Amino acid sequence: MASVPRANGVQSPAVGVGPSYRPAEEKPTATVSRDVSHENVHVLPQTPQLIALLTIIRDKDTQRADFIFYSNRIIRLLVEEGLNHLPVVAHTVTSPVGKDYVGVKFEGKICGVSIMRAGESMEEGLRECCRSVRIGKILIQRNEETSQPKLFYEKLPTDIKDRWVLLLDPMLATGGSAIMAVEVLKSKGVPEDRILFLNLIASPEGIQNFAEKVPKVRVVTAFIDQGLNEHK
Amino acid sequence: MSETSAPKSSSSVASGQKATNVPGDADISDTQTAHYSPPWADLSIIGIAGSSGSGKTSLAVEIVQSLNLPWVIILSIDSFYKSLTPEQNAAAHRNEYDLDSPNSIDFDLLVEKLQELKQGKRTDIPIYSFQEHQRLDKTISIYSPHVIILEGILALHDPRILKMLDMKIFVEADADVCLSRRIVRDVRERGRTIEGTIKQWFAYVKPVFQLYVEPQKQAADLIVPRGMHNIMAIQMIVNQTRQILKEKSIRHKAELERLGQQLEDYTLSENAIILAGKPQITGVATILRDPSTAQVDFIFYFDRLTALLVEKALDCHNHVSTDVITPQGYRYSGLKSAGKISAVVILRGGSCMETGLKRTIPDCLTGRLLIQSNYRTGEPELHYLKLFPDLDKHETVMLLDPQMPNGGAALMAVKVLVDHGVAESRIVFVTCLAGKRGLKRLMTVFPKIKVVTADVVEDNEKRWIEERYLGC
Repeated sequence: MASVPRANGVQSPAVGVGPSYRPAEEKPTATVSRDVSHENVHVLPQTPQLIALLTIIRDKDTQRADFIFYSNRIIRLLVEEGLNHLPVVAHTVTSPVGKDYVGVKFEGKICGVSIMRAGESMEEGLRECCRSVRIGKILIQRNEETSQPKLFYEKLPTDIKDRWVLLLDPMLATGGSAIMAVEVLKSKGVPEDRILFLNLIASPEGIQNFAEKVPKVRVVTAFIDQGLNEHK
Repeated sequence: MSETSAPKSSSSVASGQKATNVPGDADISDTQTAHYSPPWADLSIIGIAGSSGSGKTSLAVEIVQSLNLPWVIILSIDSFYKSLTPEQNAAAHRNEYDLDSPNSIDFDLLVEKLQELKQGKRTDIPIYSFQEHQRLDKTISIYSPHVIILEGILALHDPRILKMLDMKIFVEADADVCLSRRIVRDVRERGRTIEGTIKQWFAYVKPVFQLYVEPQKQAADLIVPRGMHNIMAIQMIVNQTRQILKEKSIRHKAELERLGQQLEDYTLSENAIILAGKPQITGVATILRDPSTAQVDFIFYFDRLTALLVEKALDCHNHVSTDVITPQGYRYSGLKSAGKISAVVILRGGSCMETGLKRTIPDCLTGRLLIQSNYRTGEPELHYLKLFPDLDKHETVMLLDPQMPNGGAALMAVKVLVDHGVAESRIVFVTCLAGKRGLKRLMTVFPKIKVVTADVVEDNEKRWIEERYLGC
């Protein structure tokens, strides 16, 4: 996670951030996420609050404890947003005031899969939202010479093909590792459209690559950068 | 019951005055805006005068104790003694200064303070030291009484005060009894000597009594002979005060009812932020409402929901631009908080939301308000408050209450913050279930506040969330 803040120096122009009812001159300016037009890529709403959290985790002077706390807050928002994409069925209960409440029930089992080692930092946030969730692991390392990702290790729930999978990786650079992780899941029988990829900061090239290779995987991210730096 | 009509008409006058006295509300041209007059803007004052040592204080204490309500308080005119000059002070220590004459009391200040209290404002009352014959630097803050018992030798002296009094009582006692009581009190409580007290009695107290104190009888509604020993009189005053409080409660409920009317056409503004609609929120709401959900699960899902609500509330917080350098040495133009964020928990329900709050802001400053609905009348009552002294300087103040069944407690809580100088636009009311009419009622009175709620439901839902969360 130490390498989360990453930018290539090509900053998009800062824009006014704030709720729609606030006049433009009262909105502070900041750099917000880039827009992408892929159907399955969801960027969290760029509220001033979210930008402030991202600012803290990008700041090199932020203490480690604060870094962990504030990145956790964003991760929780990512998980909450991701869970909205899971299917539900109508479910009526009688509320404590004696009235029928037409609600919904979560359908299907879920599990988390973190791409080691950075993805493991997102497990706590996942557990804060889904208490007894099973968490599988995949270790993918990039070959320093070829820049190609290589699968080293995986340990996944045996019934993973019957589950919805929340794939965790805070950084998406080229998309190589994440695509490989999706391929591993698919080889275990998980349909592509039952995978949700939760991500903190992504590069536009990575998002592009990922969305083209595995178009049915839904991506939830907090921020898409302007460009990737030369170190792929 | 014919008595009720008279105070009712006077209350409409009082609330009319109030509307013109609140500048923040007057400049809102929006026709949807209504005005809420809390019970403490409908203050009744009972004046108790009488000779020194006649038992005024004991009578006042007796009344307050038998009512035992936090909004019935005693205000002693002794707090309004003028500070003495060094010469006067020296004379006073020789017991040669007339502390009992009307000139030694700052009636102008008293009138000013009573007027502020009548308007429902928070007021600082001076503290007078009898040892030093000086007003201390410290003050006592009085806020939100419904009934004040104004007690002092000359409580019925100033015509401006007489006009403000709702009940005027004069306590009579035998002069010998008064002198002996005075000696005991001044020696024990005010650090005087017996000789000095007696000297003062004949030089000042007695002449002043004849000149100023006794004539107050003319203005009194009720003259109580034998002071404290007159149990029947005390009982009558207590009963009359109860009646006054009951009428206030009826008026306050009518006021809340009035604010709930004609709201059908009212459309909620963008300041009401409703989370409902997303599958997760509905799913969590279903688990919370399901009676078969175990308490441990209830707590888990409720904490999750409140953490989300607080995140949403923080979207209303103001930020300013800031540039930071990333570990790679690049500049990122981001945002940072524009000022302090604090929360005020409305007890007891609001305390359920603190876990979710601390999950988002671990070191959040948290003030407290205890507002309870009267179990007989349903009227919201402010029992206790503990707020930060610099609350008016906080950039955002969140009010936390898991349910807003009819907006009564919410109106009161927002009013308390506004009375403490918090700008309306800086208040974010965070709740899980808001009653439809209650929400509109709150937003018509305070259109600039923001409300974050998980869902909007039927009105007057009982407060079941706190019962489920706390297990009782």
